[in-house]
Amino acid sequence: MVGLKKHNFTKFFILIGVLSFFYLPILSLMIFSFNDSRSLTSWSGFSLQWYQALFENREMMTAITTTITIALVSTFVATVMGTLAAIGISKSRRLIKELVLSVNNFPILNPEIVTAIGLMLLYSSLNIEKGFMTMLLAHIIFSTPYVILSVLPRLRRLDPDIAEAALDLGATPLQALWKVIVPMITPGIISGALIAFTMSFDDFVISYFVSGNGVKNISILVYTMSKRINPTINALSTILVVIITIVLLVVNLYPYITKKEIKEAE
Amino acid sequence: MRKLIEFQNIVKSFNDSLVLKGINLSIHENEFVTLLGPSGCGKTTLLRILGGFISQNEGHVYFDDIEISNVPPYKREINTVFQRYALFPHMNVFDNVAFGLRIKKQDKNTIEQKVKKMLKLVNLEGYEDRPVTLLSGGQQQRVAIARALVNEPMVLLLDEPLGALDLKLRKEMQIELKKIQQEVGITFIYVTHDQEEALTMSDTIVVMNAGEIQQIGTPTDIYNEPENRFVADFIGESNILEGVMLEDYKVKFDDQVFECIDYGFEDNLEVDIVLRPEDIDIVPIEMGRIKGVIKSSLFKGVHFEVVVETPYREWIIHTTDKVEVDKEVGLHFFPEDIHIMYKMGTY
Ligand SMILES: Nc1ncnc2c1ncn2[C@@H]1O[C@H](COP(=O)(O)OP(=O)(O)OP(=O)(O)O)[C@@H](O)[C@H]1O
Ligand SMILES: [Mg+2]
Repeated sequence: MVGLKKHNFTKFFILIGVLSFFYLPILSLMIFSFNDSRSLTSWSGFSLQWYQALFENREMMTAITTTITIALVSTFVATVMGTLAAIGISKSRRLIKELVLSVNNFPILNPEIVTAIGLMLLYSSLNIEKGFMTMLLAHIIFSTPYVILSVLPRLRRLDPDIAEAALDLGATPLQALWKVIVPMITPGIISGALIAFTMSFDDFVISYFVSGNGVKNISILVYTMSKRINPTINALSTILVVIITIVLLVVNLYPYITKKEIKEAE
Repeated sequence: MRKLIEFQNIVKSFNDSLVLKGINLSIHENEFVTLLGPSGCGKTTLLRILGGFISQNEGHVYFDDIEISNVPPYKREINTVFQRYALFPHMNVFDNVAFGLRIKKQDKNTIEQKVKKMLKLVNLEGYEDRPVTLLSGGQQQRVAIARALVNEPMVLLLDEPLGALDLKLRKEMQIELKKIQQEVGITFIYVTHDQEEALTMSDTIVVMNAGEIQQIGTPTDIYNEPENRFVADFIGESNILEGVMLEDYKVKFDDQVFECIDYGFEDNLEVDIVLRPEDIDIVPIEMGRIKGVIKSSLFKGVHFEVVVETPYREWIIHTTDKVEVDKEVGLHFFPEDIHIMYKMGTY
């Protein structure tokens, strides 16, 4: 008994150690974003001045707007494209299915830097001027495979008779898709969209290589500022952490929420 | 009655395996047709061709004398009760049943009335708001029936619609479905592999095996005049034996010659013979046409199933009298109880 307790205690201790290793830096960053002085190590009092500085900084506000716009638009496009592609894939023959799936997995397994350089070279060779549109396109490209991967398992679990039943009751193929198939795979679509959103929101490597003309998202901005340490970055990062945390919470809690709804209906 | 549906020489194969080998079948208005056959014989495949979900490799399907092979499923005046229900799991009972009416853009009051009426018909009043995923198998099956019937199709396809029900509910639903069919006056094409269900419900039974039609006929035809060994065996329990048709009205089996009422066969033709268990009587040994020993007797509720052993075979006999095991008895039957069939593949 005593041995067991001791064992549990050790486990607990290790867990705390690991968690603090992960989260202390973030925590300190968040705390010092409210610091009164420039220091990142000594606390001199509470203030919101860095947040004020952040909101007054045109460059930062533009970066935030760019990031959010690109994240929203690329998520929307990638979700629609990815969902349709997944439906197409699930209806094709086995050989085509496997082929398309391995092509789909390639950008996911590929190091990001390779995708980034590839896209950069593509844009340069086609003489496309780098800027907002190239970044948006790149984000759509790298997030679509994740949507496909999260929608496909839902489709696989779908009873093939269900689509036939809809047609049987007079629905055209489009109506069947919209009224029956899509609602049934909605959880997969939503989790795909959330993944696409987070991927786009905090992307640095690819964005850095495919943007230009002064178009910057938050990651690029922070990177260019990181040489001159400035607590506005802390304020910005705190906001980012909060947003990403909320998104992740939604991603992880979504299945439970829907399950609970079903239980409540019972 | 007017001919409504005609299958002409339907051939269908999946990846080189022939599943339907030339089906010819006509179905009439208001007819209750049952496709009966063992698992995998192609019943669902034939229904799917009629529903428009797959297309045949060869042959034609006519609906009201119009070829419909190229008409998409949503334009056919046919509704289906699927073998595995295929209910929409994200909708409640009401929305499932209302689906077809909403697609046809009927107004809200009409939809509500029709759905309510249909749910009453299938005994699911008050279940409107239940999610279908929480219903029992039997309830789901009844939702599937209601969802198809509410559209008032000219033809309803039912693919083993009562498969998941327990015996009592099954019997009730059999009567209910038959009543609905007669009241609504639509054509039912019904799939089952339960021969009793087929016999009690159908106007016409189509017996299928391995992608071929074995016999088409009324329940009494099929039961009393099976065309071959397969049909006789599949419909009810039977004593099926081999014999030789010596000449008209004379058949020989078990080294004995018997008088019968069949004629028109070639002389000395080898044939299959059916004797239904309920047509054979157990009599005192000196009165029997065949002698044997009672091997077993099992009580089956209404009758006893008795097995009598002779030097040639074991006979199955249904009788309401109690008999003694190990007793020597005679078996008696009349000439009209002997049913002669061509051997399979020789007609
Ligand atoms: N989509 C398909 N692809 C390949 N083979 C198929 C397909 N659909 C049916 N088959 C095959 O065709 C044959 C007939 O199938 P079908 O579903 O018509 O049988 P059934 O008579 O309805 O049987 P059951 O009583 O078990 O429902 C089976 O051997 C089945 O494996
Ligand atoms: Mg079947």
